[in-house]
Amino acid sequence: MVADDYDVIVVGAGGDGPVAAWKLADAGLSVLVLEAGPFYGNEKWPKPSEEPGGAVSSSVADLSGELLDEQFTTREFEMVNKLLFGPADHERGFWFRKFPGDGAILQCAGVGGTTLHYTGCHPRAYPASIDEQGHWPIDYADLLPYYWEIETMCEVTPAPVTAKEELFFRGAAAAGWPLLHDHNVTEPGYRPQPNAIRQPDPKLHVDAGYDGDFTYPEVQGDTLALGNIAGNPHPRGAPYEEKAKRSSNVSFVPAALATGNVSIRPNAFVTDIRTETPLGDTPSVTGVRFRDTWSGRTERVDAEVVILAAGAIETPRLWLNADLPRNEWVGRGLTIHFGDNVMGLWKADDLEERLGKGTVDQHEGQDIAARFDYPGLGMLQTVGTTPGVGAILGFGASASGFTFQNDPTDAPWDTMGRLAGPELKRLLAGYPRMLQILVVSDDRPHRRNGVTVTPGLADEHGPIPVVNYEPSEGDQKRRDELATIAADILREAGASHVHRSDSPPTALHVHSTMRMGEVLDEACEAHDVDRLFVADHSALSNGVGGANPTNTGQALAARTADKILERYF
Amino acid sequence: MYDEQLRRLNRWIGTVLRGAASALELLADLVSGTEDVELHTVVTFRAIVDAVVPETPELDPELGPAHVPGGLAIGLEDFVVTYVDDGFQFGLPYLGPRGNIPLADPIAQILDIAALTLLDQGDATGELDDDRPVSLLAPGEASPRAVRTAAGPFSKLSRRDRLRAIGLLDELELELSQFEGELFEFDGGLVGQLVVGFTEMIYYSEWQGYDEFTQPPSERVHPNDPAAVQSWRQTGYPGFSDGYAALRGYLGDDDGPLGAGDVWTTIDDDQESPVRIVREPGSFRENDYETSDYEEPFPE
Repeated sequence: MVADDYDVIVVGAGGDGPVAAWKLADAGLSVLVLEAGPFYGNEKWPKPSEEPGGAVSSSVADLSGELLDEQFTTREFEMVNKLLFGPADHERGFWFRKFPGDGAILQCAGVGGTTLHYTGCHPRAYPASIDEQGHWPIDYADLLPYYWEIETMCEVTPAPVTAKEELFFRGAAAAGWPLLHDHNVTEPGYRPQPNAIRQPDPKLHVDAGYDGDFTYPEVQGDTLALGNIAGNPHPRGAPYEEKAKRSSNVSFVPAALATGNVSIRPNAFVTDIRTETPLGDTPSVTGVRFRDTWSGRTERVDAEVVILAAGAIETPRLWLNADLPRNEWVGRGLTIHFGDNVMGLWKADDLEERLGKGTVDQHEGQDIAARFDYPGLGMLQTVGTTPGVGAILGFGASASGFTFQNDPTDAPWDTMGRLAGPELKRLLAGYPRMLQILVVSDDRPHRRNGVTVTPGLADEHGPIPVVNYEPSEGDQKRRDELATIAADILREAGASHVHRSDSPPTALHVHSTMRMGEVLDEACEAHDVDRLFVADHSALSNGVGGANPTNTGQALAARTADKILERYF
Repeated sequence: MYDEQLRRLNRWIGTVLRGAASALELLADLVSGTEDVELHTVVTFRAIVDAVVPETPELDPELGPAHVPGGLAIGLEDFVVTYVDDGFQFGLPYLGPRGNIPLADPIAQILDIAALTLLDQGDATGELDDDRPVSLLAPGEASPRAVRTAAGPFSKLSRRDRLRAIGLLDELELELSQFEGELFEFDGGLVGQLVVGFTEMIYYSEWQGYDEFTQPPSERVHPNDPAAVQSWRQTGYPGFSDGYAALRGYLGDDDGPLGAGDVWTTIDDDQESPVRIVREPGSFRENDYETSDYEEPFPE
């Protein structure tokens, strides 16, 4: 059962909420975490997509690796549908969010949030994006102790090399870029991903002749099966906490539950933030109201402090739907790392020469294990995908129509646009010999971009988020420059055909809609509501330079927890 | 014709949102000349699948017979209809049994509008052909006359023109936004996502291998056999695995702590300190950093 009141309520058990919950509970506070989606791998919910299950989980003993193995099948279509943002009940569709044009927003529901299908990439922000771009009210140096704390908890290390990373590194080196060794990146170059995935068992080396099972305890750590986007339960047979990918449900949730001070209530969609205004000026938060997504019943819970950690779309939506003061930056300043895909296809002979085999085999190894950094522009990363995800990510959408409608004669790519028909089938026949590069640009916060709500457009939790995003000219140029570098790296690596998607704006990384410095003060407490804090990627003041945001979001959430302790407990 | 179609569509959407008892019945009532609404939707979704993942005899000489069959050979269109009807919900019970909003019929209607717009603009490369929708059904499945009557202009376009019509829907979104309710102002883009992006994803995923995907997750069975999925035979994807002995090592050179030990291969010989793949994992350097010389490559 959920009690009537707690010291702290955390709204959202995604990438960042569990970090704050863990820190505060570790300091002795009672914490309730409310999560809109299901709790996978928990004995209180043996069939989380089919039955309402238990009420709340407060013990680390509830966590079950066996159940996670059963529920996370790694079958791509099934898992994408399971993890995307919607109610636990498998018979009900996704929660609909409006995005302009033919782009999309990627959000996950469930304990672990979008880290359930993130690829473990855990680099830091580029220092210049915090210290030199003028958006942040704090210094990069203020984050460093928290990066260390998060990286230790998530076991961040340089990712291993399989064939596809070797191919990319060969291309990047041949294109003249240097190898980077550093956590704090200030110059362009290539390096292995700092990944929150345990390194693979050494017996999985290609020369070691291993032909046994890939299950625990025979194999420990990463098993080099592609599967992070599909949840990654590997190694199968391992206890919940021994899973290789340190998504927040594996890294921070067990630590939070182990304090004995945290209760996690899944299937609980928070619909209102309650406040009182005793002195007649600034309102002060008193609790929240949430709705059970199975029964439809609503409940009220009180707390001394409320932390919004529902993500950069849902946090401003909740604020806008609650009776709270309107700050002109609430919901605004959205950055999404305005992205693109550039794909290379190789001939078998050219691969043989570079890799000693005629295939790339993108399905082997970690999904994203090699990267190229360019502070000021953003980043590139190799992406191994299963064919269905690869098709929708790389070929299913474009801002410039179908390939047959474009003439790329003078462009650095051979084809550009959306692929369908014989062209699609021909290209995907080369799946074993192709590699995609994800272009991730350092787009900047603009007030026109962000989340609004419209009274007429509502679901059972109130008006839905309407998301607007229009890249600036600078954003376009940064992305074009990165796409050109990607094409060059692929050519240098020997690709015989290069394809650019020219993707429509698609929000894979979503941040900066409740910006620190605008909506929030330097402790991430709301300027306009006392005791209301934000601890998710919406609090980031910009898109951290284009680096994957999870590490920085978590570091900031850890810092916010410390600030809450200083101010109120 | 185009305006009239838009008006009908808008009335349909508005009525669904106000709580119509049966959207299908209503649509049947509204769309004159369309005797069998279900057949219209069936034909339209076949036309979608036939354009997005077609049968491709032309790939046989180049890639082999395994690359000939397309989505229609495995009943993809049936599942795409189910998927778009069950895929999104507003939690409003009158929209369907689980609050899911049935989208297949309005999508089929929107595609006809897109087809008419393409023709209107003179951007279609061929004429409408009444025999195209007929050829999408198996002999005996429905009478050719019924198919010709039920089929909309989208299914009468060539494959390429169907794709062009889908591509027009971003422009259409502006027009739709002028209507009351505004719920469907965004749907032009959503249609393309669903009928191209998701159709491709479903086709190339493991979907075909299930006995029945709509079963509860705990009861779904999948053989995970590369031979059991047509698209896996076409991509060479070997099925899902618990792991691979594919480790080559770690990137490293003599200048930093990234990796160490025996050299497996060299990546870059040109450097003073060659970049190699080595056996032992290392760590990133906790470096001092200096940003005062940062310059914006493309200032805002």
